[in-house]
Amino acid sequence: MNHVKGAPERSISRVGLTALIALVSIAAVGMYMGPSSSAATSGTGSASASPVGPQQVAGFRSDAWYLPDTELLGFVEISEGPFLMGGDVTTDPQALDHERWSAASAQGMVNVPTFYLGRSEVTVAQFRAFVEATGFAADVRVFQAPPEYPVRPISWTDALAYSRWLQSEMEASPSTPPVLRELFGEGWRVTLPSEAEWEKAARGADGRLYPWGNEPRADRANFGETGTMPVASFDCSECPYPVFDMSGNVWEWTRSPYEPYPYDASDDRESLEADALWVIRGGSYQDSARELRAASRAAAGPGVRRPFIGFRVAISRF
Amino acid sequence: MSSAGKRRTGRGRREKERRDDGRSSGESTTPSLRQGFWLPPALTLALVLLSFVPRVRASSALTWSFWGAALALLTWQAVLFVRLKREPAGSSLRIALFPHHYVQASMQLVVFVYWGLYWRPVSEFVWLLVAQLVFAYAFSMLLAWSRRETYALGFGPVAIIFSTNLFLWFRDDWFYLQFLLIAVGFLGKEFVQWHRDGRSRHIFNPSGFSLGLFSVLLIATGMTSELTLGEIIASTQGTGPHMYGVLFLVGLVVMYRFSVTLVAGSAAATLFGLSALYTAWTGVPYFVDSEFPAPVFLGLLLLITDPSTSPKEPLGKLVFGGLYGVGVFALYAMLARIGAPLFYDKLLCVPLLNLSVRRIDSTVRFLQDSALWNRWVPDWAPARSNLVHLSLWIVLFGSMTAMGRTDGTHQGDRVPFWLEACDDDRRNACDRVVQIEGVFCADDSGWSCNELGGHYLRGEIVAPDSAQALSWFARACRLRFQAGCVNLLEPGTFSRTVPKVLDLRLLLREGGQDLTEMSEPELYARACEHGWTFACDRVGRP
Repeated sequence: MNHVKGAPERSISRVGLTALIALVSIAAVGMYMGPSSSAATSGTGSASASPVGPQQVAGFRSDAWYLPDTELLGFVEISEGPFLMGGDVTTDPQALDHERWSAASAQGMVNVPTFYLGRSEVTVAQFRAFVEATGFAADVRVFQAPPEYPVRPISWTDALAYSRWLQSEMEASPSTPPVLRELFGEGWRVTLPSEAEWEKAARGADGRLYPWGNEPRADRANFGETGTMPVASFDCSECPYPVFDMSGNVWEWTRSPYEPYPYDASDDRESLEADALWVIRGGSYQDSARELRAASRAAAGPGVRRPFIGFRVAISRF
Repeated sequence: MSSAGKRRTGRGRREKERRDDGRSSGESTTPSLRQGFWLPPALTLALVLLSFVPRVRASSALTWSFWGAALALLTWQAVLFVRLKREPAGSSLRIALFPHHYVQASMQLVVFVYWGLYWRPVSEFVWLLVAQLVFAYAFSMLLAWSRRETYALGFGPVAIIFSTNLFLWFRDDWFYLQFLLIAVGFLGKEFVQWHRDGRSRHIFNPSGFSLGLFSVLLIATGMTSELTLGEIIASTQGTGPHMYGVLFLVGLVVMYRFSVTLVAGSAAATLFGLSALYTAWTGVPYFVDSEFPAPVFLGLLLLITDPSTSPKEPLGKLVFGGLYGVGVFALYAMLARIGAPLFYDKLLCVPLLNLSVRRIDSTVRFLQDSALWNRWVPDWAPARSNLVHLSLWIVLFGSMTAMGRTDGTHQGDRVPFWLEACDDDRRNACDRVVQIEGVFCADDSGWSCNELGGHYLRGEIVAPDSAQALSWFARACRLRFQAGCVNLLEPGTFSRTVPKVLDLRLLLREGGQDLTEMSEPELYARACEHGWTFACDRVGRP
């Protein structure tokens, strides 16, 4: 290249070196800032929540991880006892083959030890508290809905990460109700409900098809729609337990691997060589009444994040 | 030959190189600035148009990176336009087709194509590569005109972009850093110079400079895997069958055409030698997938053979290559020790070597003037010398290949081998277990992720770290490896099982073979040969 001699050349070189240093500095700062500053710009990546500060959500405690403002922070005791699990096509024409208990029997009696179930699906506000506290790389879409809506899309591993965090927070916090603290002391854990726990909480011991009875009702659940609704939007005084949205709104992850019936709690630790597939329950806003039945079951890979899958937590001993 | 004769030969060669690098060979001049000044706006427009390609539109961050780069170029053009209106300049560009640019670029393209045949993301990356080329041409033109110089339009930017992209890609969300990487390379070439052989020359190989600098930044910030695909690139470059053979043939063209056999050959020979010594000493291989990894082979063919930034004399080339081999060997261990990604081994020492070139040149000239040198070194013409060096290189590489030291059977990428070596407490073997399982986990082997989680949970061969353990279990689980999910459900316990078929297709790809179509019985038989005892049970072998 032709060099122009003298002062202009020195001046140009100085500008060039300055530009070089500036670009390297920009790169260094960009790298140092890391993914935490950027992900919200990506439609497919992961994100940390931007700090929003304390925020009030009616019915939830901003000083207690945005859990429901009840005596047990939204956890409802489901006492030990048997219930009828599975779908019987003679009483439920919409029952599917994989809901059938066995060749000999359409349904089976399962005894479920006492456990505590979250009365509503985990909300955006609750999950945001987790992401803000841990920097967890969640899907950017989880914060698109208002704080009182169910958080989605959530993978099975996301749900477990939240559960672990909530347990560690509750164990360490003096604001945790003594009953729950005692449970943690005895080895109980915040986790996902098992398939049996979920179904028992949804239909109780009388074998009903839906949480409120045997007929689908649009005034009891969000289904056949185009989007989710705030959690606990529907009253359900007929339900066997004071838990909301067991049917509709979002499918909910369970801690049970997808296995053919009859249900066996010990299956959770067997079949390690099979591809992981975990049961989801309850149907979602976009499903028909068939998927809303308490016996309805589906499954998904643990890494998938779908806009119709969320979760609720349980406190259980296993 | 007398020392004076040697110096004459050296001068003659330098003059020839000056012609190759100067303006008298393969070039013509376009007369006015106005005729060339439409190019940067056109290239900027092309960059904007490329941002509408579906591959780019798929990520908003990527699209913004393109627009940001285009805006920067546009601003620069506006400033330059105003300045040139005030102070008109002379000629604007000339065509300059230098063989060391287009031959090198052609060979790099061959590597890209072959690699892309066996790793699909390469073909998906094509639009991003084109965008970088467009950006590089616009950037280098504006840079030349800002310096009131004539722009030499040729294949120089192609060689720089290809060379850079064979080693480092930033992820879509961080692609603006890729544009910065390129800009830094060109700025380094133009503004970090010294006087050598009576001329002002760039000190650093342009791609080697920016890669080295960004490598340091990435290591310092610990963001390599979050921001780049560097590790994945390094682990997939050997996936094509006979990749070493392909690189060898590509290298032969470059070596023959530009007399760089001594540089690349001595680097390779040094690495072969050091690896062999290490193996003889410890009983285990130094590198995991061959006597030296395919990306290192690529590095020694591309990054240190630039005539402008490497020594001129044969002995200097020999020393330069040897130092690169030693540097890579040492960096591999140092990076492992500090827990940094190992693929930086081939990048970090390039700028340091470039800085040593003048010292090597002067030392070599001093030696060449000695009587001892003139007595022992044969008096061959450069072309004949290069043929002799090429022959020696072919013999060396052929021998190493025949011994399975390149992409043949190599126990270094067999997990059971390292597990056993770790049990036997062989040197670095347990570190290699973690390293190799990390590589396979990054390649989506759920089994490897789960085993890694187990190491961090139990703390037997790495320091216990429950957060790390959970992170690996979560990855295993997302890859649908059920034991990983169970380990997530029950923190503190460790469930494990044997590799699944999908895992075996990755774990057994020794030598870069593609096993996606291999039948299960064949896969289990191969696994048995690799030392997986469960597989022997399945195929009924002892």
